[in-house]
Amino acid sequence: MTEPVIVLNHLSKSFGAVNAVQDLSFTIAPGTIFGFLGANGAGKTTTMRMLCGLVNPASGKAAIASYDVWKDRHLARTKFGYVAQRFSLYRDLTVLENFRFFGGACRVPGTQLEERIGRLLGLTDLEKERDTAAGSLSGGTRQLLALGCALVHDPPLLFLDEPTSGLDPVHRQQIWNLLYDLSHQGKTIFVTTHYMDEAERCTEVGFIESGRLLAKASPRSLKSTFRARLLEIDIEPLMPALVRLRNLPDVLGVSLRSGSLRIYAPDPEKLMANWRKSWPFPDLHLLGERWVEPDMEDVFTAYSQGYDSVLKRSTS
Amino acid sequence: MKWPSLGAIASVAYKEFLHIYRDRRVLLLLLILPPIFTLLFGHAFEASEVTAVGSLLVNRDNTPLTQQFIDIVSKNKTFQWWKESPDIKSESDLLGHGVQAALVVPAGWSDSLTNGDPKPLLLYLDGSDTNTATALEGSIQQSLGDFQLKERDSMIETLPEEVFELGKKLPVQVRKQFVSMMTLWTVDGKILYNPKSRFIDYVVPGIIGLILQLLTVTLMACTIARERESGTLYQLMVTSLQRGEIVIGKILPYLTVSICLVVVIMALSWWHFKVGFYQPPVLALICLLFLLCSLGLGLLISTFSRTQTQAIQFSVFFLLPVFVLSGAFAPLEQLPQAIRYVSELFPLTHFCRAFRLVNMYHAGPRFYIVDLVVLLAGALITFIGAAFLLKRIEQ
Repeated sequence: MTEPVIVLNHLSKSFGAVNAVQDLSFTIAPGTIFGFLGANGAGKTTTMRMLCGLVNPASGKAAIASYDVWKDRHLARTKFGYVAQRFSLYRDLTVLENFRFFGGACRVPGTQLEERIGRLLGLTDLEKERDTAAGSLSGGTRQLLALGCALVHDPPLLFLDEPTSGLDPVHRQQIWNLLYDLSHQGKTIFVTTHYMDEAERCTEVGFIESGRLLAKASPRSLKSTFRARLLEIDIEPLMPALVRLRNLPDVLGVSLRSGSLRIYAPDPEKLMANWRKSWPFPDLHLLGERWVEPDMEDVFTAYSQGYDSVLKRSTS
Repeated sequence: MKWPSLGAIASVAYKEFLHIYRDRRVLLLLLILPPIFTLLFGHAFEASEVTAVGSLLVNRDNTPLTQQFIDIVSKNKTFQWWKESPDIKSESDLLGHGVQAALVVPAGWSDSLTNGDPKPLLLYLDGSDTNTATALEGSIQQSLGDFQLKERDSMIETLPEEVFELGKKLPVQVRKQFVSMMTLWTVDGKILYNPKSRFIDYVVPGIIGLILQLLTVTLMACTIARERESGTLYQLMVTSLQRGEIVIGKILPYLTVSICLVVVIMALSWWHFKVGFYQPPVLALICLLFLLCSLGLGLLISTFSRTQTQAIQFSVFFLLPVFVLSGAFAPLEQLPQAIRYVSELFPLTHFCRAFRLVNMYHAGPRFYIVDLVVLLAGALITFIGAAFLLKRIEQ
């Protein structure tokens, strides 16, 4: 097994009384696309900022390519690129000027800089926009530029903080294709996201909730931690059914998916058997039932809502 | 910590220069304001004496002697007289008449002078501006003195022969004393350091300092605050740039621009106001130290401001007392001793003093070396402080 690129060792940070990150320990192997999932305020960005050496860890340690992320941050920074959540390049500078600035700031030798910028312009498909001010680019192209600038010193690791939030599906796809290409080249990618379909695209996923890591595994093995099969029903009228079912004592939660309801329950077989015997809601019409494979959204809901009884608490 | 790399500094400096160049409003401000300010301030402080003050003249004593006095007073350039009829009752209503002074010659004034019991003239003064009021009173006093001297001369000319005969009988010493008393005692003043007595020569360092202080501090204060506001500061910090490289790279373009501004202001003062510059290399050194000190100050403000708005507010709070207390436009000696200690804290104070010592006094280095050291210390303290605060942002 190769050396991990990122090592977190009991990493913690609190802001005042808020424990933003609590006792995080995990490692990430080279070439991984690691998706870091969690609700807003769960501690994703703080973790990423600590790894980037922008926030001083309160306790614990972390290392990137065996450089301590705080003490040796100047060395660690040569090993990664960072794309912030907010667009944070210089809006009054053109695409080319942004590339040149970050190239110079990252100490790319002048002899290599032009060749590398040319390659990145091609990679990010910004050749035509090279003399456009970054501020007048559309949201998607801005993100491509930010990604390009983070790659200007050819780092083996890339941090992306919600790179696709607010983007249209076409640009989201474009960004992900680019990430696949980079991963294929052997780069490690650490990405935070809200989108569950994006979590499916990662080779490894970590769930964080209230600063604690709940699970970390590949999407496939995370889905296999679902203990029970998942019950999906077609019912009418939909919305009153959702509210009524959610409040049943045997049901942990209900989620709406493509016009059907998914029921999270500790014992869905028994629940369904009871319903077949006597349907308790005369005004709701049960139209159909089936058993489905849980997807990442179901897994995330179960982890983040603490539906422990539907999860096998052993793996991870 | 490695030594700063020139390439990295150049990247930051070029980027910062592009920010200035792309922000057309700031660029326009930089190009237009300094020459306009120089002309405006230069002319505003050109004449330091009070002239043509609107005043009321009420003559209630219509005699030839009084008329002679009126003639003298009318030639006084300090006043612009409005003659009013002697029957006026509201001569003390200065505001109502739209004047700043009213001079009343009381009835029977010339008779009282010849009767050996001189009545005083009446003078109403607007005291809201203390400087003008005293200047006006002094000016009237002088006209009155001129009049009195003239009267005395004509009286001596018309003295009867017997008086001179009588005088000859007095002891020599008393006679000499009497003659001495009858002539005006004078001061032979020699004006040093500003032989042409032009206020503009005095005020030029004030103008240079004021404009540069204003522009450097406010512009510099915005640089880091702007990066913080737009989120680019984090992006800047995850690069391999060291703090020193960021600080130096940010200072360089503003220093270059400021030096150009100094040259523009000096050239304009020389060409338009005929202000001479003595020992230009020394003046250049003083300007450079002052600029570094001001830029460092702006940078310091920038590091503890969260937004550009805050940075501007901090700058204004700092600059306001500087303008009043730094001695840029008036001598520090006008201020009470305790306040003068505060003035010593401002770089502009030391800049103006050193600049004047060189340019007006043609003084040697031992006179202004303290000011240079203070400016240098200020520059070092602010730069180190800014680098330190920048480190705090990281945590």
